[in-house]
Amino acid sequence: MKLPGNDILIQSLLNEGVEYIFGYPGGAALHIYDAIFNQNEIEHILVRHEQGATHAADGYARATGKPGVVLVTSGPGATNAITGIATAFMDSIPMVVLSGQVATHLIGTDAFQETDMIGISRPIVKHSFTVESADKISEVIKQAFFIASSGRPGPVVIDIPKDTTAPDKLFDFVLPESTNIRSYNPPIEPEIKQIKRAVDAIIDAEKPVIYAGGGSINSNASEELIELNKILNFPVTNTLMGLGVYPAEDIRFMGMLGMHGTYQSNMAMHNADLIIAIGARFDDRITNTPDLFAPHAKIIHFDVDQSSISKIIEANIAITGQVKNSLKVLIDELNKKTNMIEHSKIKPWLNQIDEWTDQHGLNHELYKENSDTSSILPQAVVQHVYQITNGEAFVTSDVGQHQMFAAQYYHFNKPRRWINSGGLGTMGFGLPAAMGVKFAFPNDEVVCITGEGSIQMCIQELSTCKQYNLPIKIININNEALGMVKQWQDMNYGGRHSESTYQSSLPNFVDLVESYGHKAFKVEKNSDLKSTLEKAFSIKDELVFVDVYVDPEEHVYPMLVAPNGSLKDMWLSKDKKV
Amino acid sequence: MMQRKLSVILENKPGALARIVGLFHQRGYNIESLHVDPVKDVENYKDIEELLNITLKENEVSRLIITTTVSDTLLRQILRQINKLIDVLIAQEESK
Ligand SMILES: Cc1ncc(C[n+]2csc(CCOP(=O)(O)OP(=O)(O)O)c2C)c(N)n1
Ligand SMILES: [Mg+2]
Repeated sequence: MKLPGNDILIQSLLNEGVEYIFGYPGGAALHIYDAIFNQNEIEHILVRHEQGATHAADGYARATGKPGVVLVTSGPGATNAITGIATAFMDSIPMVVLSGQVATHLIGTDAFQETDMIGISRPIVKHSFTVESADKISEVIKQAFFIASSGRPGPVVIDIPKDTTAPDKLFDFVLPESTNIRSYNPPIEPEIKQIKRAVDAIIDAEKPVIYAGGGSINSNASEELIELNKILNFPVTNTLMGLGVYPAEDIRFMGMLGMHGTYQSNMAMHNADLIIAIGARFDDRITNTPDLFAPHAKIIHFDVDQSSISKIIEANIAITGQVKNSLKVLIDELNKKTNMIEHSKIKPWLNQIDEWTDQHGLNHELYKENSDTSSILPQAVVQHVYQITNGEAFVTSDVGQHQMFAAQYYHFNKPRRWINSGGLGTMGFGLPAAMGVKFAFPNDEVVCITGEGSIQMCIQELSTCKQYNLPIKIININNEALGMVKQWQDMNYGGRHSESTYQSSLPNFVDLVESYGHKAFKVEKNSDLKSTLEKAFSIKDELVFVDVYVDPEEHVYPMLVAPNGSLKDMWLSKDKKV
Repeated sequence: MMQRKLSVILENKPGALARIVGLFHQRGYNIESLHVDPVKDVENYKDIEELLNITLKENEVSRLIITTTVSDTLLRQILRQINKLIDVLIAQEESK
């Protein structure tokens, strides 16, 4: 069959099972947009800013596990997409970004809307391609999707010079069924020798901790992790990126670890004699000072990316492979030795963890105590949302205190429900990401827990939500400040709030949201909180924005003491340090 | 810390070299010298062909020689990072 490049592109995307493209048109992409117009199998979602397109595609990818697809024009379209590409890169999210480019003969001439997208995006992509001619499009698309979604996933940019999608030249093409890139062979199965060593270490352990991160979600290893811990009954902690991979309801779950992790998780990691790291990368928000990290622990590290193993913390037993496959093999090997696993051996350790939890664990009943007359606690807002949605919503978030409160107080029992920018920490992520999730799961509750700072970074997407009628719920935890910045200034800069407040310049969010055609409520009194949230969630067919004014003095605790602290050094409140 | 010579075999494609040079900068490693040539004498690369189970054709891949001064652990990390690049067939420390 012969088709022009723009149609070959669409056929190639269909061949990958693409349902949605999140994008924004412009000159260099117009041939492609014409091909989009002439078909109805792929739905194009018109965002209001290219950053929104990348975050929406990213949210779609996090919720479904399938690559999100973005289409932007050259120059400013491409550069506007950069923040979203970097966000996806840092969290290893599969994404394919199609960027229009000036025609091949103009490249390098500083043509109108020319930027070197391949160059600009190079450090924040897993790989990138320039389309050389229309007959190469189908193979490039196949390879891009393969690279984006295999091994350690990540974003792939395809720069498409305008002439390669011209409608007036027809080309023969084939849609490849599979592809093979000889220089790219991501590991899948673990080395059995290493698994056997891990089994021995597990059997010996008296103070073990399972530490699972975003990689275990990317690898869809939740079931295996649960099955593994049916055998082991070890305490489990998750990173910010890993929340949901192990059910929060489970008795062995200790909560998140790290900078704002729970007391018991951080204490358990610090005192452990064995840490089983599963798809986690010992980020500096987890280790605090690496030299002081878990001084007594042997480390077993499962990861698909060999360069993540022993990068920060030396692993004693490295297990390279798809985490899901590696855990399966581990389970098989453990099952052969069940007689050697003595559960009584870790009993004192489990008791110790329970004691830590009792001493300084998070108070999950705060919302009951937060009285009508006191100012609203942000934690209580999250707890109410958790109660009202029965813990079953997809929750996206932005960056700041509200994000940490959401991570601490919304309990995720399933993976891919908690959608946030962990690695890059991108304010503005939450709303567009929620759009992407809602397209993927139109019948599920999708909540964006945001702050009045973050929401203003991509607020234009409220207009997209109107166009596509996306009944997302947005909970704006409004502390009238860049709260997390202010908290650091309180803790480390003598309370000097340099540029972290807005001097009563905030918009009237209710008016603003209503002008976009959505519903909005404002809550200032504790006595209105629960009923207003219930009312918001009872509206099923409209986007509802709830602007909740919370106590601006509230801080997120625990908070690791930094710099030079270890995981056991935490602030538990404004004046209590352990 | 000592001076090391790294040898990288990569696909001879536009942009492949820039990814390696960029990676050194991005990760904060220093390049002391760099030399790149398309591989013509494929018969001298039998060991790599065998290791990766591929056959090389003349000018299809390039060979890059980089010298850099790093510790053992950093060297391991650099090699892993380079090997992760999609266009790289293999990166190794050059045996003396
Ligand atoms: C794009 C971007 N710019 C700056 C920052 C630094 N930063 C981290 S948290 C934060 C404050 C966020 O304020 P808000 O959204 O109101 O959340 P709060 O902490 O008040 O809950 C800032 C400025 C960031 N993470 N992202
Ligand atoms: Mg705020």
